[in-house]
This record gives sequence, structure tokens and C-alpha cells, in this order.
Amino acid sequence: MHGNAMKRVNMSKESQMRAAINQKLIEMGERERLKELLRAKLIECGWKDQLKAHCKDVIREKGFEHVTVEDLVAEITPKGRALVPDSVKKELLQRIRAFLAQHSAL
Amino acid sequence: MKMEDMSLSGLDNTKLEALAHDIYADLVEDACLGLCFEVHRAVKQGYFFLDETDQDSMKDFEIVDQPGVDIFGQVYNQWKNKECVCPNCNRSIAASRFAPHLEKCLGMGRNSSRIANRRIASSNNMSKSESDQEDNDDINDNDWSYGSEKKAKKRKSDKNPNSPRRSKSLKHKNGEHSNSVSSDPYKYAYNSGISYETLGPEELRSLLTTQCGVMSEHTKKMCTRSLRCPQHTDEQRRTVRVFLLGPAASSLPDVDGVVENDGYDVPDGQALMSRLQWDGSSDISPSDSASSKASTNNSDSKKPKKKKKPSLGLNSGTCGGPGSGSCAAVGAGTTGSGGGGSSQGSLGLPSRKKKPKLPAPPTPSIYDDMN
Repeated sequence: MHGNAMKRVNMSKESQMRAAINQKLIEMGERERLKELLRAKLIECGWKDQLKAHCKDVIREKGFEHVTVEDLVAEITPKGRALVPDSVKKELLQRIRAFLAQHSAL
Repeated sequence: MKMEDMSLSGLDNTKLEALAHDIYADLVEDACLGLCFEVHRAVKQGYFFLDETDQDSMKDFEIVDQPGVDIFGQVYNQWKNKECVCPNCNRSIAASRFAPHLEKCLGMGRNSSRIANRRIASSNNMSKSESDQEDNDDINDNDWSYGSEKKAKKRKSDKNPNSPRRSKSLKHKNGEHSNSVSSDPYKYAYNSGISYETLGPEELRSLLTTQCGVMSEHTKKMCTRSLRCPQHTDEQRRTVRVFLLGPAASSLPDVDGVVENDGYDVPDGQALMSRLQWDGSSDISPSDSASSKASTNNSDSKKPKKKKKPSLGLNSGTCGGPGSGSCAAVGAGTTGSGGGGSSQGSLGLPSRKKKPKLPAPPTPSIYDDMN
């Protein structure tokens, strides 16, 4: 029991820490920058056009008039995640790690 | 507070890595969602499918990938060898040369006005328009006429062999003979010389005071270079003047200024002598100079020298005369010039040499050229 409690505490500590990091990420504007960077890279590599074409298919399939956001999201997001090229992924991860390393010590 | 103080280094590497991945996943999801919203809005607003055209039009504008042709299907140098007909002169001109030709042909554009001005100036001065054939001849001659001697940089723009205007636009202004002859060398674009036949005696005289005037054997034209033109000797210039103006007008004018050459030596000589203004050494007695000048002019005005200076002739003549003392003074600056031998030759020479101490401005320059 004590172990479980400790785990919970650790987890909460961990989650707190994560929350703290996320907050820092946002406050320093780094998250915005990362988001813009990702968007630019995805456009550059053609990911956006690919997905848009997929969207067209989905829309034609589902019917033009009755498409909802949820439909799209459900169709697009998994494919989108899969289609991100490795280089983009690697670069982003690198930047995030750098940020964490820099700001892990308060 | 303790929680906040706890540093993130408490998280070990795997946890950090997991955190990084989580952050990344969030970012990707944001991107996807952004795209979904964008598309959904486009569909609902009706502009999502606008960029699609029908298949036929798509085929029309397909990218072309054939050799010899660009991606639009156009041939690269299709118009290279084409010829255009000039609307002005109705000649067939190569396409690449068409624009410059049109500029000259229509008389518009930067260079055309310059050329035209030059032609006007030169034809005014020469009082005659030259034909192209003679122009070319003169250029090919070794006998340098004025036009071909022009600066090379001006030549490049003017001598366009394709231009049809070279003979047409040389304006013929026969009526304006009264223009004074200006010795602007750069204005003489095409005209290579003057023929003495078209000029009256006044014209000839004024011309001969500023220009070399030696007649070319081939073309019977007068050389329009300066009086010191290296292609012709003074002897030649004198001959021409004798031929054109008569024996009395054989003296060559003073180069330093445009002298109104009436053809009389004695007054000229006197005027020049007084103009020379030899400071400190003008011991020439008036009687001496007058008498010796008179004697000199009649006998000894044909001194062969590049620089024809009646003053020089006079001086050498003067030195030879009875006034040896004055000769020494005349050849001022040379300490021992007069010396014992007051012969004409010995005194003539030093008087021609450069005299740095000589204060008179015109004379040293003459002597410089002599050497």
C-alpha cells in the first residue's frame, strides 16, 4: 500500500512536473514556435496536399452537403499522424528535447 | 512550494523522452485539426472544389516534356532567324537587330539625336555633305582625313554599317557658308575633309588659319586637322596656302590664336613680335627688328620647321642680321648663345631650344614643339 501510495505520489509529482513543463512551454512562446515550424515543414513536404486530397475523397464519399467536422477529424487525424515524414518528426523531437534539457532545471 | 522547487531533473531520461513524444503528438494533432477545420469551412462555404477544372482544359495546359521545346510547348529560338520589315524604310532587318535599327531609322532614341546633332554641326562647318563612299575611302586611306581620326569610342556608336541613314541624314546646308570654322574635333563625325572648290576665298582664309588644310592627293580634300597635325609638314601647309590664296598669303598663322591672316607678313610679324613680350630681354631695337624683318620676310620665309612660326623665322633672320647683341637678347636665356658666332645657324638653333628662364609665355611653348 505504501508502494501504491508512493506510486501515486510519484505519478502526481510527475504529472505536476509535466504540467509545469507544458506551462513553461506555452509561457515562453516555444509551443507557438514549434507549432509554426511543424506547419511550415508539413506544407513543404507535401503532407498538407496529400491530406487534402484524402479529404476530397472522404467528402465525395460522405456526400458533399452533410460532411461534419467530426467526420473529417475521425478520417483525417490517424492518416495525418502516419503521413508525417520521419525527418520532420526527428527535427521536432530534437527541438523539444533541447527545450526540456535547457529548462529542466529551474 | 516543495513541488515547484523540485527540479525537472527528477524525471529520468525515459520519462523525459516520453514527455517529448507526448508534446510532439500534441503538436501533430493540432496540425491535423487545423487542416480539418480549414477543409470543413471550405466545403461549407463552397470554395473547396473551385480549383478543379474539367479534364479537357486540364489536358490543354499539361506540362510538355519534349526535347527542343519548353514546358509550354514553345520553341526556344523560333524568332532568332526571322526577319522583320521596317515600316519606315521597308527594309528587311534581322529580328535581333530590329530594335536598334528602328531607333536610328525613326530618329528617336538616345543616340539618334546625338548623331544628328553631330552631323548638323559637321556639315555646317564643312559646308558640304559627304557621301558614304568617300567616307569609306578616306577611312581606308593612309592619308588620314579628319573624320577617321575621331576618337574610337565615338566611332563604335556611330559606325553602324547596317544603318541606312548614314548617307541620308547628312544634311546639306549649302546656304550657310558664313559659319565660322570651329575646331571642335569631336563634332566632325562623318565628314572627312573639305574641298577647296566649294569655298570662297574668305572661307578658305579663315579655314586655313585654324586647320592644316593640306590637300589629299586621292580626294582633293583639305585636311581638317589642326595646324600642328603630324601627318603633314609645314612645307605642305605652306604650299597649300600659296596655291589657294596666292603667293602673298604664304605665311602661316599663329597657332596660339586665330589670327586674321591678311596675307601680309610684315604687319603680322610686327604684331606677333609685340605680342611676344619678352620681359627683361627685349633689347631688340625697333630699327633692327624692322629692317631685319623686312629683309627676312622677302628672302627667308621658307624655313622648314614643323611649327610654322613667322616669329621664329623672323628671329632667326634677325639674329643673322647686324644686331648680334640683340640676337643674344632674342635668344634670351642662353647665356652664351650669341657668343662669338652670330651666324644665323648657330643663333637660330639656340633660339629654338627650350628656354626655361624665358618669361614670355608663348615663345617657350613654340620652342618646345620645335624640339
